[in-house]
Amino acid sequence: MKEEDRNPSQAARREFLSKLGRAATCVGAVAGAAGLGVVSNASGKSEPASEGASFPTKDYDWTQHQWAFGVDATKCIGCLRCVEACKKENSVPQNAHQFRTWVERYVYLEGEDAAHIDSQQDPVNIEASGSQKEFRFANRYKNAKVEKAFFVPKLCNHCTHPACVQVCPVGATYKTKDGVVLIDHEYCIGCRYCVQACPYGARYFNEEAGVSDKCTWCYHRITKGLQPACVEVCPVGARIFGDRKDPQSPINLFIRNNRVQVLRPESGNAPNVFYVGIDKEVN
Amino acid sequence: MPTHIFRLLCLMAGALVVAMIGKSILTADSFYRFGHYRANSVPEIAAQEPVFQTARYCLSCHTERVAVWSANSHKSVTCEVCHGAAQGHPKNGKLPVPKDAVKLCTLCHEAMPGRPSAQPQIEVAKHNPYASTRQQCTACHNPHSPKIATALVKLTGNAAAGKERATSCASCHGAEGISPNDTWPNLAGQNAAYIARILGAYRSGDQKDVAMTPLAQALSEADIQDLAAYYGGLSCKAAPSASPVGDAAAGKALAANCAGCHGETGISGNPAWPNLAAQKPGYLVNVLKAFKAGLRKDPMMAGVSRGLSDADMANLAAYYVGQSCQPKK
Amino acid sequence: MEPVIHSVPYVGWVYPNETIFEWSVLIAVYPYLTGLVAGAFTVSSLYQVFGFQRLKPVAHLALLTSLCFMIFVPTPLLLHLGHPERAFNATLTPHWTSAMAAFGYFASFYVVLLLLETWFAYRPFIVEQAQKRTDLLGKLYGLLTLGSYDVSPRAIAYDQKWILWLAITGIPAAHGLHGYVGFMYGSLKSREWWSSDLMPVIFLFSAIISGVSLLVVLYAASCKLRKIPIDVECVKGLAYTIWGFIMVAILLESLAFANLVYKGREGIEMIMQYVTGPLLIPYFLLQFAIGLLLPFLWLSYMIWRGTTGRAMIIGVTISSILVLFSVFMMRWNVVIGGQEISKTGKGLLFYQLFVGGKEGALVAIALSVAPLIALLGLSRILPPWIHGTVSSRVSAMGGH
Repeated sequence: MKEEDRNPSQAARREFLSKLGRAATCVGAVAGAAGLGVVSNASGKSEPASEGASFPTKDYDWTQHQWAFGVDATKCIGCLRCVEACKKENSVPQNAHQFRTWVERYVYLEGEDAAHIDSQQDPVNIEASGSQKEFRFANRYKNAKVEKAFFVPKLCNHCTHPACVQVCPVGATYKTKDGVVLIDHEYCIGCRYCVQACPYGARYFNEEAGVSDKCTWCYHRITKGLQPACVEVCPVGARIFGDRKDPQSPINLFIRNNRVQVLRPESGNAPNVFYVGIDKEVN
Repeated sequence: MPTHIFRLLCLMAGALVVAMIGKSILTADSFYRFGHYRANSVPEIAAQEPVFQTARYCLSCHTERVAVWSANSHKSVTCEVCHGAAQGHPKNGKLPVPKDAVKLCTLCHEAMPGRPSAQPQIEVAKHNPYASTRQQCTACHNPHSPKIATALVKLTGNAAAGKERATSCASCHGAEGISPNDTWPNLAGQNAAYIARILGAYRSGDQKDVAMTPLAQALSEADIQDLAAYYGGLSCKAAPSASPVGDAAAGKALAANCAGCHGETGISGNPAWPNLAAQKPGYLVNVLKAFKAGLRKDPMMAGVSRGLSDADMANLAAYYVGQSCQPKK
Repeated sequence: MEPVIHSVPYVGWVYPNETIFEWSVLIAVYPYLTGLVAGAFTVSSLYQVFGFQRLKPVAHLALLTSLCFMIFVPTPLLLHLGHPERAFNATLTPHWTSAMAAFGYFASFYVVLLLLETWFAYRPFIVEQAQKRTDLLGKLYGLLTLGSYDVSPRAIAYDQKWILWLAITGIPAAHGLHGYVGFMYGSLKSREWWSSDLMPVIFLFSAIISGVSLLVVLYAASCKLRKIPIDVECVKGLAYTIWGFIMVAILLESLAFANLVYKGREGIEMIMQYVTGPLLIPYFLLQFAIGLLLPFLWLSYMIWRGTTGRAMIIGVTISSILVLFSVFMMRWNVVIGGQEISKTGKGLLFYQLFVGGKEGALVAIALSVAPLIALLGLSRILPPWIHGTVSSRVSAMGGH
């Protein structure tokens, strides 16, 4: 204090310089950190090193495909082999309340206008199969006067404008370049906002893994030239899968040769599962 | 600026710096590469191993079985639907052969409202009268070629014309349709539709027999119909007798598996399938052996006879020969 | 071992994946807490920014309340997440198309803002305590001074400016913090009960009345505890605030419901069945009639009759308790109620509240009570009563 009293202008200069120095350090540090952040983000975007390399695997290039799915509800017999196969293929929890794919039954009884709808979580059907791990429709209408009845397989629609992707707070779910909506199980925080946002009820939360889950069109199979498990096991050809970039693929033929529709078109999600043979009450 | 404000600002700036450094360090490398997600998760998901292997995989070892399966009506049902996923097979051992066929087959084939009519469906209780004793579907249906080749032949023959034609058959099959020896079968009272079918098969070459083939080729379509009508109308007369070879009691136990098509006592419920009651035991044994060896072709019988030993065949023959060929009224 | 899945009972037709309830009571507690934060801060700002002198006695209590509740706001979320250790992913890589991603940033910003404003408001007191005390607490105060004991008029003037600007900034920040919750529900296409443009505004206005009501109750309770006479004018000011905002809240909620019924979109039959059935008591009776209309009518009556004194205080306090209850019911009816109506529009599910468990009633109650306990503790260190704070200093110096 005394020294500064002796030489006020020097003290003032010292004070000013020290302030300037401190300010400069702060600003420099902030700028440096910002630059670091920007550079690391930018370098992630361009990736010149692997340009031309096939992604995601060396045998499969996702820019060459655009997948889509078809369901022919006029053919489905409700055998539920697809439900069981999917559970096996993708390690879906073994219970009757969490599904990647399921089948709904619509039954119109004589004299009624509203359909009786049931699916695998119905206790009557659980009893018919004997356990929560096996699936079967109980033949509950065999003695009833049935006017019209049919089965509708359901699964994730892998929408073009997915509501689930929009609402994910962290970017754990996303749409790939080949048109499949996937979930990054290493990044998902388990908030279940996506489960709420899906209008089709296609998603569920896997308590054991702590993450949300849903049908992936068996991405691990289709990238190896195989069909999704449910398509593979369907004995009647009610499920169709293929590449929209291939004009002769089963799905393109299906869409071309039939009047197809999608579920909840008014939602604006633009689903990519195309249905033939569904009815006014299916939503 | 007062000191405390300045220090506060420095503190906040420092915290911001730490936060930004932390953000760039902690953010995954592959994030933002293709969009707002971790790009490396795509190959991670794609790398998962498939559980179901498809029929092509089964083909690499089970060529014969796959050949039968892919030529018949279950070709749209892939192997793993019934046998389970083939991941780890054969390293982890055999894949299960489903034991409870009624439970498995009815998943697709039980008549249920909502199933399209193109799907073959049955009312279980009516179709399988032995369902209460849990007689399995596989007793009659080979799961790899499930259709039973019993397209019912239309009967348009004239018994009188057939009688005239039958004179040339009598040397082996007897004047009254009762064969003189053990090797050649009785024809009297046999289902006409069956006779028509089998003669037609010999004629077309679907079945081959050293003796029957040239004989059948000499017949016309009308001849076959007439012969079938004639023999079908004959009284079978053959009285039940005891056979010197084989244990009838053991055969009776085995015959329970045959009853679905051939009837409990060898009187077939379906006119397309032959009656076995009071049939020559030597003939029955030879025929079973021929089915087993594939010399006589019938996918149904091939599957059934595969599990029969020579002793089993003798026992079955012993049982049937002791049955009355008169249908119970 | 597979964890036991708890599926809920249902009637009609629901999607198979819906039979497991995803958002539990904790997700109803969370907007309740942020609402209290926003509401309490509104009271503080009404004094700091809009100069409502009547609210001076509760201004600092409001600030501390806001801070204490804000600290506990993330807890129901962290307990709910499947991977709470990854919660920071939302701040590392926020997906800005998602309303929820905004939370991490709004919340962090708002916590800092609250801490700063509190610090500035209490600085003279902190400096004074740091100089006076020599115990551990004295060291804590010393740390909080950042080494500067400057409480000259110039410094105080700076502080006052900061407080003003923080309070001004804090209003949109608090309302953003809580408004995004409403937007989260209102912007979803999947549930007709949630999908409404009015949802963020409804959440906001009910948040404000809940926060103000909380302050009424806390103020009355603390005066009783300290055996100090309650400032009638202050309570009147709070009552007017509640009365004004409750009108808007009633209007908005009625509008939203009327809109829903009038539009009559697909699924409306099920909504009507639900609202006139399982939701009749929680919605019309508890939330609306008892929780909103009754306090509104009572307050209106007291204003009309010019009620004052003890009768007024009792009336306002009871009305406040009813409003607090009503706003919780509103959160419950939105969050739980929305999930009880199936996405199919053809079925209803029944939420089962467990007493224990990670997301049970006990935890919900504990998380709601914990901030009050924190407030009790914090008020020992930073007493809410004006003495020794900047405002009293400024008043002493002839400021506003």
